[in-house]
Amino acid sequence: MKQSYDFNIEKIKDLSLEEKISRQKNLDLFYKSGFPTKKVEDWKFTDLNLILNKNFDSISNDINFESNKDLKIIKNFEHNYISLTNGKIISSSFDFEEKNKIIIKDFSQKDTTNFNSNNTLTLLNNALSSGGFSLEITKNYKLKKPLVVYNHFSKDLKNKILNNKNSIKLNEGSELILIDYNDSNTQGNFIRNTMDVVFLSDNAILKNILIQNAKSNGYFYKYIKGSLESGSNYENYILSSGLKLNKIEIEINLNKNNSSCGIYSALNLFEDQHQEIKTRINHNSPNCKSYQKIKNVLNDNSKGIYQGKIFVEKIAQKTDAYQLSKALILNDDAEFDAKPELEIYADDVKCSHGSTSGSIDSDAVHYLMTRGIPKKEAVKLLINGFLNEVLESITDNQIKIFLEKVLEKQINEH
Amino acid sequence: MLKIKNLKAAINEKLILKGLDLEIKPGEVHAIMGPNGSGKSTLANVLSGKNGYEIEGEINFDGSNLNDLKTEERAQKGMFLAFQYPLEIPGVNTNIFLKTSLNSVRKARGEKELDTLTFLKLIKEKAKELNIDEKFLSRQLNVGFSGGEKKKNEILQMKLLEPKLSILDETDSGLDIDALRIVADGVNSYKNKENSFLIITHYQRLLDYIKPDYIHVLSAGKIIKTGNADLGKQLEKTGYANLS
Repeated sequence: MKQSYDFNIEKIKDLSLEEKISRQKNLDLFYKSGFPTKKVEDWKFTDLNLILNKNFDSISNDINFESNKDLKIIKNFEHNYISLTNGKIISSSFDFEEKNKIIIKDFSQKDTTNFNSNNTLTLLNNALSSGGFSLEITKNYKLKKPLVVYNHFSKDLKNKILNNKNSIKLNEGSELILIDYNDSNTQGNFIRNTMDVVFLSDNAILKNILIQNAKSNGYFYKYIKGSLESGSNYENYILSSGLKLNKIEIEINLNKNNSSCGIYSALNLFEDQHQEIKTRINHNSPNCKSYQKIKNVLNDNSKGIYQGKIFVEKIAQKTDAYQLSKALILNDDAEFDAKPELEIYADDVKCSHGSTSGSIDSDAVHYLMTRGIPKKEAVKLLINGFLNEVLESITDNQIKIFLEKVLEKQINEH
Repeated sequence: MLKIKNLKAAINEKLILKGLDLEIKPGEVHAIMGPNGSGKSTLANVLSGKNGYEIEGEINFDGSNLNDLKTEERAQKGMFLAFQYPLEIPGVNTNIFLKTSLNSVRKARGEKELDTLTFLKLIKEKAKELNIDEKFLSRQLNVGFSGGEKKKNEILQMKLLEPKLSILDETDSGLDIDALRIVADGVNSYKNKENSFLIITHYQRLLDYIKPDYIHVLSAGKIIKTGNADLGKQLEKTGYANLS
């Protein structure tokens, strides 16, 4: 079945004439090539057009923004929050913080021109974005508790596409743990196309954690573009198991000396699930570090992909870059594809990469069974152990315990 | 407790055990000695239910036909194997493993599962008896443990699960004299009129610390000689070669 598009800029409220024209231009450009197919190199392992054709008979951006009333807050976990429905801010709470240090408002598309790209999903987002949030932390303010961004969706999103843009800016010396928390009970298949722009000033620290809380009919694409100044640190933890389709594309620009980033993912995928993590780390300055550890457990006919590129500019001497992907393939029908890429123009750098995939260690399963643990439980323990390793670098005990529980739930229930 | 009759076992189309008979009664300590390649570890593997072996003959364990029991059911019914080479399992926390193990066994025995606090209290006591540093319990299972620490960890699991029959496969290998004494004390303190032991070893050394009631000599897949504790000392002098 071939799906039909019903994309209409008139559905987006309060646009100036200039904006309408600019959006229409983006939409026209999108229509020239449509959703990416596997012929596009960046999408060779995820034929989005084919996947959408199979799972959607039409796609429209005509979304009713009635807020989802049954707001569920994570219990026994002290946190601040922003609550979004279909990407729009509904409420926020910063009870643990000095409120004047945090600036939160609706995202304004006029604020940014960062999104020019050949990527057709970016074009579509430019055309159809219905906003998002814009968050700024003032100089030297370190949030005392994590900030959870609750992503709720209305129930009637069948065959709809949501386009959102968010911006996160940490001023000099500020620190934030941001948990992007998807909680969807939407019935029909829907698409979410999100662009996040992250800017870290000197010595700012951001931990950005992506969590999928329940199984979802979502087909998600997220583009994160980060720009890092001197001594700043950005870390991504991806625990997004449960979605039908998820592609996360992360571009980190290490623009100034001694900035660093880490990308960690732990995914446990089941029937008909497909997730891709694509990264591009641009070492644009000397003495920067990047670290990537990607782990996938693939059950049934699931598919996991990692495309990781490290790009080192000529001036970026003393670069220290590392990437590793490991997959456990538990079924003959499951698949893991890895494409590491190094492009290095500096001569004094340390870059390494590795990729392994294999089945579960049957001797380890046997050992656990000789201790009275049934096979199914033994396998779960091993999967948990395999994935949990990506959380090792987290020093905050509260966060670590919280994420361990998330992962355990994803292994047991998804 | 354990009754083995004419046990034959093959792996990769090679016959290793060629008709082994053995009976262990409650409270008895048996040792199986033998040269390398005689089938000692195969016996341990077969008893634990390891995949890959073709088996013929009868093994009765505490009233059940062992072949009918899955590996985990053997453990739940009270059989314990201390491995010659305990596996390193990255990512799996030792405490979580021990708790899952104990509760799986308790559940199968119809006993109440232990909550985390009760479990931690119990495991700390047991670790102390074996001179195991508590820090090991929060580390990944056996990862980076020395040979002695791994073997002590095996004995800790034995004492935690309270098996009826404990099979110790080359437990003395890789142990220095202090660790050997601690392991032997651990075994001796668990020995009583109901619990049985099968000690598989190459050397007499461990048997200086754990006194067996019977010693069997395994050679080329068969028990060729059975005697009391003195047989071990005799073997130490004369070696295995003179027996066959």
